[in-house]
Amino acid sequence: MPELPELNPVVHGKLRLALLSLLAGVEEAEFTWLRQKTGATDGNLGAQLLKLEEAGYVSVKKRFVQRKPQTLYRMTNDGRQALTEYVQALKQLLGGAI
Amino acid sequence: MTTSNEAQELKDRLSLIETMIAEGRRTTTSWGWIFVFWGVAYYVAIGWTAYNQWPFAWLVTMLGAWLLCGAIIWSKKKSQPQRRPCTTIGRAISSIWFAMGVSMVLIFPALGFSGHFNWHIFVAIVAAMLGLVNGASGMLLRWKAQIATAYVWWAATVAACFGSDNQCNLVFVVAIFFCQIVFGVYGMVIEARERRLEATHA
Repeated sequence: MPELPELNPVVHGKLRLALLSLLAGVEEAEFTWLRQKTGATDGNLGAQLLKLEEAGYVSVKKRFVQRKPQTLYRMTNDGRQALTEYVQALKQLLGGAI
Repeated sequence: MTTSNEAQELKDRLSLIETMIAEGRRTTTSWGWIFVFWGVAYYVAIGWTAYNQWPFAWLVTMLGAWLLCGAIIWSKKKSQPQRRPCTTIGRAISSIWFAMGVSMVLIFPALGFSGHFNWHIFVAIVAAMLGLVNGASGMLLRWKAQIATAYVWWAATVAACFGSDNQCNLVFVVAIFFCQIVFGVYGMVIEARERRLEATHA
């Protein structure tokens, strides 16, 4: 019997998974847009994004637009790879269930 | 082997991924009004040319429409509380439309100033270019309604090469009506529906 794959714990967190999936569909996204789409609080969202950043799955860019600070997040190649592998592992674990 | 609870949780994760990817790609950018706007601009230029045969009526109307359209888009962007993220498909589509605009701005004045301008060729080129951009956008979005407008433009391209000037005018006016005005209004209705849905989910 083939060995079942491990799920990446960084990707597996519900909010982190939602964030990676959102970022997979766009080129880059503002913090406020991610907050609106996920419905998360500022603190929780910031903490989860920091974990993704530390894992190298998202990159952050800060800038000022009309003197207002703006934080932009972009999925890295490693992040895309991690999400792809996670989906493959999920499908393998579910096997015939899906 | 996973238990049924674990399997359900994993299925929920898969479903979350699909929902969020779709959510990220969903755009509620207003574009329907742009089709209507340019349809009206073409009608103004056609009417102006028919009224006094001024050779620069098209050039002046199109340049004015470009400026006005740009100003409206700029003011709309400025008034938005938050910037919507750009998707790769969105950037591909806007690039195609921008490139078409640049091509038109270059070719028609050049044809006019060189003395090679011909009404049939003008309508055929405009229709072919609009067929190309609508076809490409429709295929990228997998949107049959927009692909249908491309077919209308391509039919107009062929029709414009035959018949009299008046018949050519009629073909152009009809194509503008269906592909710009009707399709633009249809787009505005869809956008209004999406905005209502978004407000309900917010």
